[in-house]
Amino acid sequence: MALTLSLKVAFWATFASLPFGLLVGHALARWNFWGKGLLNAAVLLPLILPPVVTGYLLLVTFGRNGAVGAWLYQATGFTFAFQWMGAALAAAVMAFPLMVRAIRLSIEAVDTRLEDAAGTLGASPRWVWLTVTLPLALPGVLAGAVLAFAKAMGEFGATITFVASIPGQTQTVPTAIYEALQVPGGEVAALRLVMVSVVVAMGAVVASEWLARGVARRVRGA
Amino acid sequence: MRALVLALLVSTPAMADDVTVFAAASLKSALDPIAEVWSAETDHSVTISYGGTSTLAKQIEAGAPADVFIAASVDWMDHVQAAGVMAQGARVDLLGNTLVLVGGAGAGAITLADLPARLGDGKLSMAFVDAVPAGQYGKAALQSLGLWAAVEAQVVQSENVRSALAFVARGEAVFGVVYGSDAVAAPGVSVVAAFPESSHPPIIYPAALTAQAGEAAAAFLAALQMPAADAVFVDNGFTLR
Repeated sequence: MALTLSLKVAFWATFASLPFGLLVGHALARWNFWGKGLLNAAVLLPLILPPVVTGYLLLVTFGRNGAVGAWLYQATGFTFAFQWMGAALAAAVMAFPLMVRAIRLSIEAVDTRLEDAAGTLGASPRWVWLTVTLPLALPGVLAGAVLAFAKAMGEFGATITFVASIPGQTQTVPTAIYEALQVPGGEVAALRLVMVSVVVAMGAVVASEWLARGVARRVRGA
Repeated sequence: MRALVLALLVSTPAMADDVTVFAAASLKSALDPIAEVWSAETDHSVTISYGGTSTLAKQIEAGAPADVFIAASVDWMDHVQAAGVMAQGARVDLLGNTLVLVGGAGAGAITLADLPARLGDGKLSMAFVDAVPAGQYGKAALQSLGLWAAVEAQVVQSENVRSALAFVARGEAVFGVVYGSDAVAAPGVSVVAAFPESSHPPIIYPAALTAQAGEAAAAFLAALQMPAADAVFVDNGFTLR
């Protein structure tokens, strides 16, 4: 149960943050604007802060009585508190720096002369981005997404501080492992979960390598 | 010069020993002042490492340099004793605790039987109900009162009882099940009901000396059972055993 929940949480954390990751990664790679340094620092913050602090800030912001959470609940009746989407939000915030960094680097590496050439042939900037920039940056984007997925699978500190542990809702694999270790002789149960998560993590990394190599070959060789 | 260094080396241990105590996190507010007074009276210094009982037990089992271990759970004390790292015959049931239901600041007293109705669609905050002692006692109490089935789906579990308390203090959970000693010093919460002692297994804080403990450690453990220490423990919401 913890494993399927973890997969669901990690998938949505990655999938829902990917558009934002692309936007922020592109902005940091290509645009010059006031507050760029600030945005960069804000994005990296969850990487540097203790996860418990990030979780606490999420609780203060997105909890039922949080600055944003109270307003959101009143306006829509929706709350992140104590349900799986809250776990996904925590995982997404923790994984975001890794995703943005990979995307930013891969967009920075795209040869702008190719984009210029497409532009002179009549393509609109948006079309250029979709057909030239994104495909060339795709291996890095995929790598960033896989890294974010792996991080989301392993996220513990922010999750338990923000949404506690509810079996089936917010009790992810790391939480279940931690809980198992609180019981005398619980190492056996924990070890089983550890082995399962190692297999999943290895699978994700191997799959992403394979995927990235395939994409890179196709982009270059077409 | 050499004579001076030698004198220092020889005389220091004889004058004062350092006692290292591993204690459950919930004891901090009571144990800190007791240790301070004791070390002023005896010239021995006391170093206290607070943590979750399970974490501390594993560290002691792995050879951490503790002299005294005060656990929040009988099971973990049994565990380290079985592991052979504790001194023989030096275990006492030092303290007890009570189990209470807390609500937000200013919440009025309720009858426990009304808990499901009062909870509405809100959350009940507890420590891990199958792994952390405070959660295990709470689940047992709710079960024996016939309330567990009605509230189970609304229970949110935290890694320790203080985190469970924090969710209530922040207003994210309507009620929480915590120790009486946790509720004493906590701002933002008020006790709305007490669980009857008969509704859960006795809450016991066992204390024992490790195999490496010296005379100073034994003296500290004895001092914890003196009236002066008892008063501080009671002030902090613990019960005496």
